[in-house]
Amino acid sequence: MDQYPDENEEFELQYQDELELLEDLPDEFNEAPAPSTSKQKENRAPPLKDVSRLGNSTLGSPQLSQITFGASQLGTEDLEAGTSTGGLVNRRLFGTPKGPPVGRGCSTPFQRMPAIQELESTQLTSRGFDQEPENPAANQLQEVGLKNLNKRRLERDLFGDIDDLFHESYEDPMVKKARTEEQRDHEAIDKILELRRKLRESSKTLRKDDVSRLKALHDFKMRNLSYDIPNWPFLAIQRSDLERIYVRFHSEDYEQRQLDMISARGEVVGSLLGEAKEKIWQEASEIVLSRLEVEKDSDVTLVPTDSHTQPDRLWVDKYKPRKYIDLLSDEMTNRSLLYWLKMWDKVVFGKAFHSKQEQEAVTGEGGAAGGGANNQLNSFNKRTGKFESNGGWRQRKSRQALNTNVDALGRPMQKVALLCGPPGLGKTTLAHTIARHAGYNVREINASDDRSPEAFKLALENGTQMSSVLNADKRPNCIVLDEIDGAPRQSIEYLVKFISDGIYNKVKAKGAKAEHNVLKRPIICICNDVYDPALRPLRQVAFVVTFPPIDAARLAERLVKIAHREQLKTDFGSLIALAEKSGNDVRSCISSMQFFNAQKHSLTLQDVLNNNLGQKDRHQGLFAVWDAIFRIQRPRKTLQTDANKMDEPGQVTMTNMSVTTRVRNVLDVVHSSGDYERLTQGVYENYLQQKMPDPNFTGVCEALKWFCFTDTVQHQISRQQNYSVYPYLQYGFVVWHLLFATLAWPKIAFPTRGFELQQKSTNQRNIFQALCKGVTTSALGVGQGKTLLLDTVPLLKRILSPQLRSVAVQLLSLKEQQDLRHTIEVMVDLGLTFVQVKSQEGHYVFQTEPDLDALSAFPGFTGLSLPYFSRQLIAREVDLERIRRAAPKGGAPSAPSAAKKKASAAAAQLPNHLQTLKPKPISAPNVHSAPKQQLTKDFFGRITHKSSSKNSVEDAKTDAIVKSPIWYRYKEGFNNAVRKDVHIHELL
Amino acid sequence: MALWVDKYRPRELSKLDFHKEQAENLRNLCKQSDFPHLMFYGPSGAGKKTRIMCLLREMYGSGVERLRSETMTFTTPSNRKIEVMTVSSNYHLEVNPSDAGMYDRTVVIDLIKQVAQTHQIEISGQREFKVIVISEGDELTKDAQHALRRTMEKYVATCRIIISVNSTSRIIPAIRSRCLGIRVAAPNETEIVSILQSTCKREGLALPVELAKRVVDKSERNLRRALLMLEAAKVAKAPFTANQEIPDLDWQVFLRETAAQIISEQTPGKLEKIRERLYELLTQGVPPNLIFRGLVEQLVNNCDMSIKAKTLEFATEYEHRMQSGAKHIFHLEAFVAQFMNIYKKFLSELVMTDDF
Repeated sequence: MDQYPDENEEFELQYQDELELLEDLPDEFNEAPAPSTSKQKENRAPPLKDVSRLGNSTLGSPQLSQITFGASQLGTEDLEAGTSTGGLVNRRLFGTPKGPPVGRGCSTPFQRMPAIQELESTQLTSRGFDQEPENPAANQLQEVGLKNLNKRRLERDLFGDIDDLFHESYEDPMVKKARTEEQRDHEAIDKILELRRKLRESSKTLRKDDVSRLKALHDFKMRNLSYDIPNWPFLAIQRSDLERIYVRFHSEDYEQRQLDMISARGEVVGSLLGEAKEKIWQEASEIVLSRLEVEKDSDVTLVPTDSHTQPDRLWVDKYKPRKYIDLLSDEMTNRSLLYWLKMWDKVVFGKAFHSKQEQEAVTGEGGAAGGGANNQLNSFNKRTGKFESNGGWRQRKSRQALNTNVDALGRPMQKVALLCGPPGLGKTTLAHTIARHAGYNVREINASDDRSPEAFKLALENGTQMSSVLNADKRPNCIVLDEIDGAPRQSIEYLVKFISDGIYNKVKAKGAKAEHNVLKRPIICICNDVYDPALRPLRQVAFVVTFPPIDAARLAERLVKIAHREQLKTDFGSLIALAEKSGNDVRSCISSMQFFNAQKHSLTLQDVLNNNLGQKDRHQGLFAVWDAIFRIQRPRKTLQTDANKMDEPGQVTMTNMSVTTRVRNVLDVVHSSGDYERLTQGVYENYLQQKMPDPNFTGVCEALKWFCFTDTVQHQISRQQNYSVYPYLQYGFVVWHLLFATLAWPKIAFPTRGFELQQKSTNQRNIFQALCKGVTTSALGVGQGKTLLLDTVPLLKRILSPQLRSVAVQLLSLKEQQDLRHTIEVMVDLGLTFVQVKSQEGHYVFQTEPDLDALSAFPGFTGLSLPYFSRQLIAREVDLERIRRAAPKGGAPSAPSAAKKKASAAAAQLPNHLQTLKPKPISAPNVHSAPKQQLTKDFFGRITHKSSSKNSVEDAKTDAIVKSPIWYRYKEGFNNAVRKDVHIHELL
Repeated sequence: MALWVDKYRPRELSKLDFHKEQAENLRNLCKQSDFPHLMFYGPSGAGKKTRIMCLLREMYGSGVERLRSETMTFTTPSNRKIEVMTVSSNYHLEVNPSDAGMYDRTVVIDLIKQVAQTHQIEISGQREFKVIVISEGDELTKDAQHALRRTMEKYVATCRIIISVNSTSRIIPAIRSRCLGIRVAAPNETEIVSILQSTCKREGLALPVELAKRVVDKSERNLRRALLMLEAAKVAKAPFTANQEIPDLDWQVFLRETAAQIISEQTPGKLEKIRERLYELLTQGVPPNLIFRGLVEQLVNNCDMSIKAKTLEFATEYEHRMQSGAKHIFHLEAFVAQFMNIYKKFLSELVMTDDF
């Protein structure tokens, strides 16, 4: 307490402002989140001072957030404690190196300062209320910043939006060094006092209490004047009563700002208690209040950038989530998308993103190199406090089908994320927020851009392979393709090729060429309908994130906050009703609220139910429509306002059951669906299951008349493309509703019969066509088309069912053989046969081909009554008959072959292999005559014309065989050398 | 030629069994060199096609009987491939354009025009024109019929068209006027009986007259059906007996049962079962107008005189409406429900009058 700072420290304290200035210079270019010392130093400044500074529009500056944090810390200390454990859990989850627990904020990989180690131990022991929001990380950052600006830049690149990283207030390291235990205690007490005061103040400023204002003024003095050695830069002054007073030093720019401010509102200074000041007060206190309010609730933080400075801003924009934790969408969805984005870190930032396994290995090295990104994850987790309970998101993640494997380049296997969900859930917001959060510069291509394949290509290549040079912001790009389901198919195909091309090039180039086409930037696609046909190729390669609808209660909570902020008088119930009415569409809810706010300052349930705002053309499921057709809506007091029930303008919560209302209901519902044909089919297949009011079928007849009418109209429309009669289709539904609707819950089954009928008849038609094709010209008497089907086929089944005993063909009686013969002939004529197929039960059956049994088959009627054996027999015989018919007609085969033999005998012109050997008749005269005949042969062994008699020719031939060098000696057995024509009829 | 319908089919005009006078007229027609377009009309199984084949043989000689069947593929303007079976000889071409469904116009344009445009190579043979036989001409769509009418006029030098239809009502007047209509009525009972008997004689079987008459009844004077039934009966039981069972057509039996069910019970549940049966009939390819007819016949036979007229009235109304629609099941069910309605009313009135 009475210790004076030594020279070194004094120097540092005195020149800290200058140092800070150095620091601040680069910071002012981008709203870099890295906290600087000057800001930390003033973290104890009373709100008054801050309020006075608000004019500088430094709303987002760390001072404010630190103050508010301090305030919130008072109230949420246990939460804070929980968060620290949460930090550990989350570190595990996000694959952060689990170094020694280096203070919660100590996320940087630098570990040189022994002071931190020491501090940290004390911190751990003294965790609790007196836990100080020290942040060694900040010190290190500062130091690094002093030494090496380049490194700093790297850090910033890495961190991207780092705002939410360092939510704790920072402590000057120099001061810390000098601090003793005692001092720390004092400080703690001081802090408590200060926080209490602050709280009091804030409540008092609300009431605009003059006393509190004076007190605030006093506080202001107290902050700048001290009797003790303060922990800010000071100048020691001796008072007249020899009391030593320490007056605060401020940095030059601070002074400047103050001066500017004062000069800017000189008149305010002139009349301190004037109206202008009153106004400013009010404004300021409001801001403070809102700050406190928001910060108390650490779950959802709206960033009230400028709540009243621009009152005409759209609320939708104004309350757009700006940080990850502001997101309203499903946490699981956010996480998995973020995880996927973080998997790109290795490629994009050159920093390894450690998966869980790797993380275990790195543990020993403490905060290793890749810590930056991971710590970012950790720190945001710390804030959200509530997530550690569901630490198992990794296990649940499998549902989202995220492939956590990476390819050779370290990119995730799924190169594209595809967000899909109905409009108004915040898909675009999520994509933007997460991309910014992960340190990317978002480049959006949406439906308003030219998305022809060429333009698309250009945009993709520019986005992934270049980065902005002129812009100071050197963050890598992340492409967000919004509303991709509207893009032309070619563009999507190009995108898919673009993704996979990278892989291909990489394999080809293998390091030789710097492959120009490798995708190194993440791409996020957004669509409403994931099952759009154009998206099919993309869906297979993408990481598909389906957006679940936002919980109405959660949405309403947010709406309540907004309403509170905007001072719109409303209640939770009506906001829930609003949320439900809009189908949980955040955007439309907020817009409607703004609309009401513009009108008057209250939003009641009545308003919600009465107006037609916030009601979009929601796609109704078919079942919902059928349900509405078959059910009379009960008059009930309810807040649920689904589109089935349109409230009368006068009645708030009551529906009535008058015919008018019902008719209007049905028309509305049917309109919303629009698919009249399917709706009709659904009604048709379900109406008989409904409770029948009439025993005499009058209602059913009426209904069926309308079905007939609908069918006629539909047929006319489709035939003549005359849509002018289309509107008449809807009245059928009204009639059916009035006839069959009851109060009971209707049982509705999806209509399948129509489809089944269609499929079955197609099948039948195919079989029948096959049958028609098979009919040979010799059986034209069976008729054609319908005649064949209706007259012939049923009787044919009988005709083809002869009674045969299960014996061999030879053993059949004469009559049976005749029957068999007849059957076979008919079958061949009609092109039918039996084929062996394996039935569903697993045994073999013979089935007609084409399947005659399936044709004209009615339940309860037997088809072909042939036992297995007969079928087998017939099958074989039919095949034989076919071969027989295919062969040359009877008689013909023998005649030509005989002629051939003669010819060969005469001229011996046949090729050798076709010659028929004949046993040579060995007769004495021949033997004797042979030598004589030899003389008449010419050089080639041909018979000369001199031997003229026919007999001699014959003889000569035989002689030639005798003379020929080839001799066959007949032996029992088989000789391939001798071939002979065999006709099928000889074998059958 | 194994089925009796084929085996004993007359091949010459002189050998036709009935309408002999008409056969004589046709023969005289052939003798002249000129020859108009013909349209044979008459119920199914009356021998239209037989008569046409006989006529062709009369004109061209036995060469007409050397038939070949082939499948032709056509491409519609919408680039759809359709296949049509044709049976042809050197002198004629038989085609069933209704195979092509709604694309029959393409068939008419492509195939018929193409055939009609080519001249006979050997005029010295018989005639200078070819004949195109269009079977099931009443299934032709209006478009196809309109496409046909010009073709008929333009190429009258090279081709004649013989259309075989069941009813002329569905043929546009333009075509009707271009053709010489020849009505082939269904043979009467005695004619069929004699044909059946002669057939059996040639098969070496004795056919009792009673059985033959029953077959005629059952076949509704459809000669083809009668012959097939007889043959099926023969397979079931070889030497015919007078009171032998004659096989029925499955779908007719099914339809009869359906009608009986309608009479038996009139509840929504039953109506749903009936619907299933109607679906079944439709999938099996039974034309909805036949279903209507079968139902009406059965229902009218089995209900009281007082509601017969009403039933018929409703039947005509719904059947007519069905023609302008596409979902036949709606109309069939509407008719069934309507019948149930009047039948039920009738029954309740009956009970009330009994009470008094």
